[in-house]
Formats: sequence, C-alpha cells, structure tokens
Amino acid sequence: MAAIEIGRLLRASNTGFVAGCRVAQLGSPEFGALVRVPLGPAYQIYGLIYDIRIEDDGLVRQLATVETVDAGTIADNRENRTTPIEISVLAAGYRQDGRLLHLLPPRPPLSLDLIYLCEPEEVRRFTAAGWFGYFRHVLRSVDLPVGELLAAHLQQAQQAHAAAGNPGWIEAAAQELIVLLRDDYQTLMAVLGALGDIAPFNR
Amino acid sequence: MSIDFQQVRRQIIELGEAAERSVANNRRLLEEAQYLLHEHARDYDAVRRKIERVVQAYDRNLRCALPLDEALDQGYPLPPLPGQVAILAADGSQIAPSRHESFEYALVNVGAIHMELGAAQAPVLQVESRLLYEAQIEDLTDATLALLRDLGERRLLADLATELPPGAITLTDGQMELWLGEAGSRDEHSLFQESLLEYKLVLQQLRAAQASAAGYVDRPAGRGVMRMLEVLRMTEQELPEVRRSKPFRPLRDLHLFRGLLRPGERSALFEIQSPSSSFYADDLALHFFYLNVGLEGRDSLARVEVPRWVVDTPAMLDDLHAVLVQQCRVMGGRPYPYLLHRAHEIALVTLQEKEEITQMVLRELRGRGLEVFEKSNKQLAKDLESGRR
Repeated sequence: MAAIEIGRLLRASNTGFVAGCRVAQLGSPEFGALVRVPLGPAYQIYGLIYDIRIEDDGLVRQLATVETVDAGTIADNRENRTTPIEISVLAAGYRQDGRLLHLLPPRPPLSLDLIYLCEPEEVRRFTAAGWFGYFRHVLRSVDLPVGELLAAHLQQAQQAHAAAGNPGWIEAAAQELIVLLRDDYQTLMAVLGALGDIAPFNR
Repeated sequence: MSIDFQQVRRQIIELGEAAERSVANNRRLLEEAQYLLHEHARDYDAVRRKIERVVQAYDRNLRCALPLDEALDQGYPLPPLPGQVAILAADGSQIAPSRHESFEYALVNVGAIHMELGAAQAPVLQVESRLLYEAQIEDLTDATLALLRDLGERRLLADLATELPPGAITLTDGQMELWLGEAGSRDEHSLFQESLLEYKLVLQQLRAAQASAAGYVDRPAGRGVMRMLEVLRMTEQELPEVRRSKPFRPLRDLHLFRGLLRPGERSALFEIQSPSSSFYADDLALHFFYLNVGLEGRDSLARVEVPRWVVDTPAMLDDLHAVLVQQCRVMGGRPYPYLLHRAHEIALVTLQEKEEITQMVLRELRGRGLEVFEKSNKQLAKDLESGRR
C-alpha cells in the first residue's frame, strides 16, 4: 500500500512541527492521528496531530458574507488559491537505526520535508514500543486539549491493535494514564471524561 | 521625521472648505448636464454630425462619446444569464529594471483564469512569465513595460479563447484602448506603434474565435459623455473655442449615470471618439457603456469597453452584460468581477517573489563563474530603512 502523504513541513522545533497541506490532501489527516517524517533511511520522527487549522484571507472573508457562493467559486478557493491549511503536530518520538524511542527528536525536520500518515502497522509498532513514554509529551502540553487529544489518539491506536488481535492495549494505556495523572485530579478527570466517550469504554 | 502633520492639517482644513464651496456649483453643473442628456436623448444623428464636424474643423484630438441608436437617458435591463459560457480573465504585473539592483532585468508576468459559468469544477489557471534582460531592456521605460504587459494579457486571452467553442467572454481590467501616456520618447512611440499593430491582430483573433472582449473599469474617471454634452451646449459661434471650453470639468460620467441606472442596468452604448479612433476602425472600433453592478441602495458604477463586433451581436452583448453583473455579485458588497480579481492574484509578483527571482539569477551567474555586483549603496541603505519599519 502506498504511503499517504499529508503535506510538507512549514516550520518546526524539537517539540513539534507544522505542515501545510492542500485541500485535496485534507481527507486523510485526523485529529489525534500518528504521523511520521522520514529524514533518511535510518532516522524518522513521529508526532501526533493536535490541531488542523484552515486559515482565511481577505477574499475568503468577503465571500463568506455573500448569500450564496457558487460551486465553481468554492472549488477555486479550495483548490487553486494558496490559503494554507496548517496541521500542527506534537513530537512524540523517533526511530533511529531501527530503534524506536519515545523521546523528543534530536533534531527537527526541515522546511518542505514530506509528512506521511502512519499506517496501522506503524501505529502498533510505535505505540507498543517501551511503556507509553510519549504520553509525557502530551500531558505536559498545557495549551492543548489534552483529554480530547488522548481520546482521539487512543481510539485510533486501539483500532490498530484490536485488528491485530491485541484488544488489551487500550486497558494498559488507560491504566498508565491514571498512574501518570494520579497527582493531577483535574487533568485526570478531563482525560477520563474524554476516554469515556470513545468506543471501548462507552458500551 | 517624515511628515509635518501641522502643515498638512492646515491644508486639509482648506481642502474641506474648498470641497464645501464646490458642492453647490457641482450640483448646478450636474443638473445642467442631466438636462442636456434628456434634451438630446434621441438626437443620435444630429449629435454625431455635430461632433464629427467639430473634430474635422476645430479639434482633431477631441475625446468624447458618440451616441449609437439607443436613448441616451435610459437604463437597459439586466438580461438573463446564459446557460453555459466560458469566462476568461487576464491580468498582468511587472518588475521594472533597476540599475541599483545586483543585476538589471525586467519581468512581465501575465496570469489568466478560465471558468465555465455554472460548473462545479475549479477554474483553470495559466501563468506566463517572461524575463527581459540585456538588449531587451535597453530603452525600456515604465510606459513601454506596461505596454508589453497589457499586450501580453490580451495575447494570452486570445490564444486561450481560440481553443474554446464560440461565445467565450474575455475580460481584462482597465480600458481596451492601448495607452502609452501623454508624453513619450521617439523610441516609446515606435514600440507603441508596433504594439498597436500586434494588438489589432489579437483583437482580430478574438473576433475570429467569436469571443467577446471587454475592458472593465472600476470607479471610472472617464468623462466622454460629459465632453459630448459640453460640445452640445455650445452654439455654432462658440465652437472654435471647443478645446478650451470645459464647463463640466469637475464632473465625470459617473456622476451623470449615478441615479439614472438601477442595479443591474447598463447605460446606452457609445462609440469612443478619440485621436486613435481611425486605428480601431470597422469591427474593432471601441465602444463603451456604464453598468450599475451594485445592489439596491448601494449603486456601484463601472465602465465597460467593448469592440464593435460585440456591440453588433446582441446575444454577445447581453451575455457579457449578464455575466459581468453575476461576476460582481460573487464578491457581495464590494462588487468587482471575481475572475478579474483572481487574475490579479495570479499575476501579481510580490516583493518576496522578486527577491527570489533576483537570487535565482545571481546563483546562475555565480555558477558560471561570472562576476556579480552588490546592490548599489543607495539601495542597500534603503533596504536598511525598510527593514527597520
């Protein structure tokens, strides 16, 4: 199966990066999805999508005030104009020389590097490596909707694990979150509240 | 220190006082102009004869409107939109050569957009970028560079329209008459003459493709109809003074047709009488009308220039009229044809892009081991200033 390309890198740091994508590519990336940026045969950075932002400009604002906008004009603005769609990614780990680590990457990706959606096999491999070390990066991000992000990610990862005959992964992930948040009641409640809305827990 | 706001403030007060004084006078002039328009609304032949006589006897450079056979003081209603029609728009921008830059070059960038009315597909875009250097920029002035740009826009439209079924509508921003400006050196005039000949071929190509061509002028400053009325108010004895007699000078045609045209309506058609009329002869003769592209209670007048073959084909004229209003309505409360705006966006060369092109040129030259100069000291100092702002 061909890798699903979701955009190219606009800006980056060790803790995260932002990709620009075309409307045609917007069907693939989802909030909470795991993505990867290959930077060579032996080095690849992983991250979680925590925000998908559709920017406006003067023309779009003007068109938005019109009673009806015809389909051709909408298609022109979505497909031809350079109104950027920005996908923000939280760095979650990296793979170097075949070893997966849930640490911040030693160096960030560079401008215009390609960003791909991780396939279920890669999601399983990344999320099963170590012991949920990448949760740290999510939990310390004060400006992110932590509960919603974890719920979205766990739901997607759980589907990948369940499909491979490992339905217990999500229970372990939830237990780890409870341990990590035992001293932060407010965040724990927010995370558990969001987790309660996803498929394995709301039956 | 940039502006002495105290000085400017005093002058702004004087400006306000002058504007206040002008209001009553302009109102009186407008009433007189409106009266003349109604008075001569159906005297097409007499008006044409008088203007042709003035041109022959007193002012060969007279620029004014010539009526056709439509009542001058009426609005002509918005026709229905055609079912299917291709709309093409083009615009251009340019980089002028500067001896203060690291390398002297010019660039003409022309962008075109093609949309099928009513289709859900995204329009098709096309860009033509032409780099000019060495001998190509010798004697190149701002006026001749603008001329190359204008010609490039129309040439691209003609080439695209030729590939389409008959009935395509092609739009450019601004007047259709190629314009060099008031002054001009001998070299400029020579290039202008060459461009005119090529422009004529482009127009003929559009006519052969059975496409309509139109130049759209937003907030027009034209006063061809006013000038026509100035001639009409003169007695036979006064006509020798026609060059100096411009009593309606503060007014533009815009003032005359505002209130006369309801939203969606166009004015009567006029032919352009100008020193270049003889060049745009027969089917290429340039005409114009005013068009209220605004909404109820929010008039917005544009001037639309078209060649004779459009005027002589009622279906073509109606389609153009309807499509222009539709295109303006796409933009809501600030009516301007959507595709012309998009063509402008496509063609626009930003400062960042200009800098990128300059760097590409310098890399090419350095890669060949050629000497590359720095920007002039003056330009470097200016760049410092702009970086500080």
